[in-house]
Amino acid sequence: MFLSPLDQFEIKPIFSYSDTFMLSNYSIYLFIIFTIMWSFKYLLNNGSLAPNRFSLVIFSIYDTVLNMVKSQMGNQGGIYFPLMFTLFNFIIMANLVSMMPYSFAYSAQLVAIIFLSMMLWLGVTITGLAKHGWGFFALFVPTGTPLPLVPVLVMIELLSYSSRAMSLGLRLSANVLSGHLLMFMLGSLMLNLMSLSLVGFMGGFMPMAGVVMITMLEFAMSMIQGYVFCMLLCGYMKDALYLH
Amino acid sequence: MHLVLAAKYMGAAIATLGLGGAAMGIALVFVALINGTSRNPSLRATLFPQAILGFALAEACGLFCLMISFLLLYAV
Repeated sequence: MFLSPLDQFEIKPIFSYSDTFMLSNYSIYLFIIFTIMWSFKYLLNNGSLAPNRFSLVIFSIYDTVLNMVKSQMGNQGGIYFPLMFTLFNFIIMANLVSMMPYSFAYSAQLVAIIFLSMMLWLGVTITGLAKHGWGFFALFVPTGTPLPLVPVLVMIELLSYSSRAMSLGLRLSANVLSGHLLMFMLGSLMLNLMSLSLVGFMGGFMPMAGVVMITMLEFAMSMIQGYVFCMLLCGYMKDALYLH
Repeated sequence: MHLVLAAKYMGAAIATLGLGGAAMGIALVFVALINGTSRNPSLRATLFPQAILGFALAEACGLFCLMISFLLLYAV
């Protein structure tokens, strides 16, 4: 009865057709997330006099992301707003869909999310190189550094700049992974304890309170992590565009 | 073999100690938020998103420890 807690992150084939076409739970959840994002187009009732409640949600998400982009990158950063809006919605939808019981945690797949963040980091670096040419490497020397310290500081800044590629995705993915593991372990502890005896049934209410708290924390975390991901990416983009 | 198993469990237990640092970090973030808000309550709207950002960053650092411990328990 007691499965390994890491079993919930396994990618399993749901439907396969003669070795050439395979639908795993990973691709099905990706499809669900994209369907929700695509449905934004239909939830906004463009022709009506007043917005409905779905439009209000989408407007408030729009306002949040626009404020974030404007406060980080100024008015000229507005062309990166569609990227940030899509990323924010994608991460929030992936996290919130995975909070449904018995569903699959898309954003706990370390390979996919870290690859996403590495590609974003590469795109930011290419943007900076295209905008500034060789002058982009001025990013690695903080202003007002004495000359003997420059080689050391360049190495440190290079290390911190290149570790952003991993840490951006690892932060999101590790959060979701450990949150789901924690919920699973507390839940199975509660189940085992309550099915044991009458005393165990009484004692099982303690982890139940813990599960409720952890679930509330995870709902908050799934939204905060999307916000933090986009905010940090805005900061990296600002570094590449304006240098310091 | 049992010695290796014991070492695995001890390693997982030691890895969770890093969560104490994350707890202190989160506490410091909110102490600073309360200080700032009580000195100048009109700045609350500006300070709160930054506090949430700091909270998420500090919490993620602690979760790396928790993830290492889970990896030691279930994946090694």
